Amino acid sequence: MRFNLAGTLTIVVMLVLWEIAVRGGLVTFEYLPAPSAILVASWTLLRSGELAAQTLHTIGAVILGWVIASALGLALGLALGYSRTARSWVEASLELLRPLPGIAFLPVALLIFNFSLETELAVMVYASVWPVLINTMGGIMNVATRLHDVARTLRLTPMRTVTRLLIPAAAPSIIVGCRLGLGTALVMAIIAEMLGNPHGLGYAVVSELQAMQPERMFVYVLVIGFLALALNAALVAASRLMLRNRG
Amino acid sequence: MRARRFLTGLPRLRGVLPLVLLLALWQVAAPSRSPYFPPPSTWWTSFESLSRSGRLYPALASTVLTFALGLAIACLAGGVLGILIGTSRAARRALEPLLEFCRGLPPPVIVPVAVLLLGYAESLKLLVVVWVAMWPILLNVAAAAERVDPLLHDVALSFRLGVLQSLRKITLPSIVPPLMIGVRVAVPLAIIITLLVEMITMLPGVGSLIVTAQRNFRSADVYALLVLVGLVGFALNIFFVVIEDLLLRRFPPRMHNAQ
Repeated sequence: MRFNLAGTLTIVVMLVLWEIAVRGGLVTFEYLPAPSAILVASWTLLRSGELAAQTLHTIGAVILGWVIASALGLALGLALGYSRTARSWVEASLELLRPLPGIAFLPVALLIFNFSLETELAVMVYASVWPVLINTMGGIMNVATRLHDVARTLRLTPMRTVTRLLIPAAAPSIIVGCRLGLGTALVMAIIAEMLGNPHGLGYAVVSELQAMQPERMFVYVLVIGFLALALNAALVAASRLMLRNRG
Repeated sequence: MRARRFLTGLPRLRGVLPLVLLLALWQVAAPSRSPYFPPPSTWWTSFESLSRSGRLYPALASTVLTFALGLAIACLAGGVLGILIGTSRAARRALEPLLEFCRGLPPPVIVPVAVLLLGYAESLKLLVVVWVAMWPILLNVAAAAERVDPLLHDVALSFRLGVLQSLRKITLPSIVPPLMIGVRVAVPLAIIITLLVEMITMLPGVGSLIVTAQRNFRSADVYALLVLVGLVGFALNIFFVVIEDLLLRRFPPRMHNAQ
């Protein structure tokens, strides 16, 4: 992508206006910190190691939850995409459970697991299993019937049909599902940390709010934003690589 | 006809069986005063006592109203801003990185920021929902406005269409399909965020009702409210599928808008 000068300038101008507005007392928000104050706070948090610790917790939790959700979604999606019988016996139940917002599940997870990493993982896995499951199932179902004929002609065992033909053919759809799942996992991790598991970036934001440390709170908010962008960019790059090397 | 098409897309009814079996097993196996897994029959008694207490319906109304109003304002604001940004190349280029960051920002972090700036005001709920639901709509509309065939604007000029008429004949038909795609993304986000604001700020609503039940270890209440939220979510989903179906019939997607 070409360097976007106009876009960068917009952000710089906005930051400068923000700084002027806060210093000159032009804004009515009592607690809005100036960008320079946020910068200073981020340096303190960086040096004390707090920022790194909270960020690492969140990244670790997100990846763990995402891997569990992806494995689960892939397995279920494969089974349901492959077998029409299995689908007819299960699909309606899944369709009833799917619209249940993951966040409503958080209080239940809290009842069962208390304030812990398990709560965070339970909520993440519940919410991010759906995109993987649905995309895998759809991808497998849409594989051309011609490929099934190929499998029959070559007398492939069901196992080999799945691993050699169906998964590669459905890969683009599966990868999109995993990408959506990662985004969901991050959102749910932040929510769970705000309300359920007192660790990580989500917890840091809420506790700095309660401690009336707006500069520090904004540091964590921005870090979460950049983390989301970085995770997405990494996955876009990874999926391009995987789809190119497929053969 | 529509009903029939709707029905053929529906999964087989026997697929409900696993869920029914699970609930039946739960009912039989769980002790009636279990703090973790209270049997489903107690959910119903909880629901009845909640609805008799007079706290449930005002909370539900507040939550649904926040969601609906927030989504409506997001559609309007996202649609208008999307058209403005989409039709001007320069504006699009200048705002793109900022918009990408705002869209990428995980929605839950908006809640503490809004609390910091506005305090625990009732208006905060609405504002947060609008902010979160607006991005997918805005970006979809902007992308579509950019792709509107320039020829159509010439058509409007040569037919001397007035502002209102050209809005109705040219702009609306090219904006509605992408707007509905944005809405499809925004609906689940708006539901989640409405509940989250209520859970964090404890402003009245179903979200704060669930958290209160959980903090007091009234586990049957928690499950009852979970089912209620699920049912409301399900109903909203069906409602928006129907709305989308009706609108796309009236304004079918243009060929060059399809990828």
